Amino acid sequence: MTNTEIRPAPPAPPAAPRRPAPRTSARTRGTRLLAALFLAPTVVGIVVFTVVPILGSVVLSLFQWDVIESPRWAGADNYREILSDSTVLVSFRNTLVFMVLAVALQLLIALTLAITVNGRMPAWLRSVFRSAFFFPLVLSAASISVVMKYLFNEGFGPVNWLLGTVGIAPVAWLTSENGAMAAVILTYVWQQFGFSFLLFVGGLNNIPREVHEAASLDGATGLRKHLSITLPLLSPTLLVASVVGIINALQVFEQPYVLTAGGPGDSTRTVVMVIYETAFEQLRFGTASATGVLLFVLIMAVTTLQFRLSRRFVHYQ
Amino acid sequence: MTDPLLSRRALVRYGAYGAGAAALGGVAAGWDRLTAADIPGRDDGSLVIATLGSAHDAKAQRALREGFREVHPDIKLRINAVQAYDWSDFFSKILTQIAAGTAPDVVYVATEGVQLFAQRLGVPFDKWVKRDAAELREYFDDVHPSLVESMMYEGSLYQLPVEFNAADMYLNTRRIRDAGADFPDADWTRDEFTALLRAMKRTSGDGFTPYFWSNRLWGGVVPWLFANGTNVLAESKAPGGDWLWRTFYPEAERHGRGGGYRWTTPVADSDRVAEVYDYLASLVKDGLCTRPEGGDGRNLVGAFSSGRVGATPAGGFWAGGLHLAGMKPTDYDVQYFPRWRTRRHQFGAAGYAVLRTSKKQEEAWEFVKYAIRKDTLTKLFVANQTTPARRSMVDEARYRKTGPAHWKTFYDTLDTIASTGPIPAPPQVNEVEQLLIKHTGSALASPGAVRPALRRLQGDLEKAMEREI
Repeated sequence: MTNTEIRPAPPAPPAAPRRPAPRTSARTRGTRLLAALFLAPTVVGIVVFTVVPILGSVVLSLFQWDVIESPRWAGADNYREILSDSTVLVSFRNTLVFMVLAVALQLLIALTLAITVNGRMPAWLRSVFRSAFFFPLVLSAASISVVMKYLFNEGFGPVNWLLGTVGIAPVAWLTSENGAMAAVILTYVWQQFGFSFLLFVGGLNNIPREVHEAASLDGATGLRKHLSITLPLLSPTLLVASVVGIINALQVFEQPYVLTAGGPGDSTRTVVMVIYETAFEQLRFGTASATGVLLFVLIMAVTTLQFRLSRRFVHYQ
Repeated sequence: MTDPLLSRRALVRYGAYGAGAAALGGVAAGWDRLTAADIPGRDDGSLVIATLGSAHDAKAQRALREGFREVHPDIKLRINAVQAYDWSDFFSKILTQIAAGTAPDVVYVATEGVQLFAQRLGVPFDKWVKRDAAELREYFDDVHPSLVESMMYEGSLYQLPVEFNAADMYLNTRRIRDAGADFPDADWTRDEFTALLRAMKRTSGDGFTPYFWSNRLWGGVVPWLFANGTNVLAESKAPGGDWLWRTFYPEAERHGRGGGYRWTTPVADSDRVAEVYDYLASLVKDGLCTRPEGGDGRNLVGAFSSGRVGATPAGGFWAGGLHLAGMKPTDYDVQYFPRWRTRRHQFGAAGYAVLRTSKKQEEAWEFVKYAIRKDTLTKLFVANQTTPARRSMVDEARYRKTGPAHWKTFYDTLDTIASTGPIPAPPQVNEVEQLLIKHTGSALASPGAVRPALRRLQGDLEKAMEREI
């Protein structure tokens, strides 16, 4: 037995008396109410036109509904059906291929043009270029696609005529699998790159001139300056442009619908086209909703991945 | 004593939230479904007629409305002109209106949607036609029975045809003259057609397409399938309809008539269907026609009228379009579709259907009767944008200004070729059309692709036809 004295544990400090919640003043309450009033239209709009339809789609994906009769419970049948439907699976593959190629091309063209337009040139010419590059974005995608369909026509389209003047054989733009995807991507990128272009112009203007001047003093020139200074400092803008670009590209519809109707075969059929056809042509709104839910999950997953990766590649000044 | 997890005040607050949510849920569950019709002012008591927007211009719609008001001043009429690219697009928009709770009373429906509407939405006209037989006799005397039969489903009549278009062959006579060829005879064959395409190709240079066709249900592969005596879906006829044929048509014209067409079993992988695709593939390979994805009716009028296309299948609706595009009547003409194993032609027709959901069905029937009157159709079809279903309206005066010279071909396609029939349009028509377009594109995309594509078409059609509509 030891003489070790077992000392009682020191008494716990008395619990701090719970402080009464500070009373909000009438002025604070008034400010909160005002803020709530200002926010209300936006919140109501988002709830009514975004949250409710999304939830409605999720619920509808568990039913079979043809618009005419009452919905019938289907459980997971719609999901099982689309996961074994080759057309749906091909449409997801096409959409992903389209997304990668279209967004890469869109960002590349927009960035190149933004750097060029931001270089030395008269202010009026810069304004002309900015307006011209942005202009296609305000046009209707369906109208553009109708015109592009004519331009890309294999027999009498001006694109093949122009290629012919330099000795290139006619290209089956809309009638071969690769040609059709290329035509859809070119049409889409032509219309969409103006948005990324404007973002990049804004981003480039925010890069301090001193950084470039310091790099020049250190001997950096053209490409090195862009790789080491412009791109890292533009990375937050690149992130925004790529997130918006990818979300838009995953929902592409008008261009393939008008240009190729998803063909030849299924080679340009996208997920949103399948949703439209399943719902409004085949009257299978439950199956269409299930496809829409899967697309929603895909978009969320890709966007989350982008933001995760952005922690490593995006540099904020 | 332990601290409570929730203070009494919080408990009361959350309890109130829960009660409020439950009350809201109860109200929502007990409330009748709100529809667009509940929007104040949306339902003004009018008889609502949904038409394909591009079918009638504003002047024609006004004439339709005012003429009806003179006959039935007690019935308020509203024309809902739905803008759509084609019939499939039109039906999609009508179904959206039905889903929104704003279903029209009467819908203009083409062959593509006759059976879909009849099966799911339409009201049979039988009782009204029997009741008003004396009034309708003049109409049936003037309308070919094939058109009427195409509007029947499982023994009942669901529409009265107003217009139709058979796929005849439009030919650019300038290009034929340039090729040193003669305008073909009425009984020309597929081989003579191919020879004519080759002759036009030789003399017309680059940028010229001898034969242009659109990949769709009407006027795409189907006219060739009919000419070769086949189809993608086996065709038969439903029993019934005897009362109609006996009442309105003489013995010779009612022979073989039934209660409407049935398209049930897919036969897309048959040898005859493959022959048709092989033939079209050979035309594509030889540069004599467009690939299926390259053909698009939206470009076609301009391409044909400017001499860049030699031949294309179209109906009476094209005469007006070519005239508007500035084409002289002497620069084009129309002939029957070339014969292969048979001379069978395809057609599509359209007329008004009354919806089951309508609370004004008697008024709707009065509108249908008004819409088929000759004076009404004369006001509507002034620009040759279609072929009137009434034989007496297809006359020389109608085509004097626009051409074509062989305008009689339009109605003679029905009158002289007894086998002429409607495009295959079962209730699953939307999926059938979509599959046909898709696999036709695949079949003609590359050499050797015909048979694998037709096997896939057959498999997909079997699945589509099994699906409950």
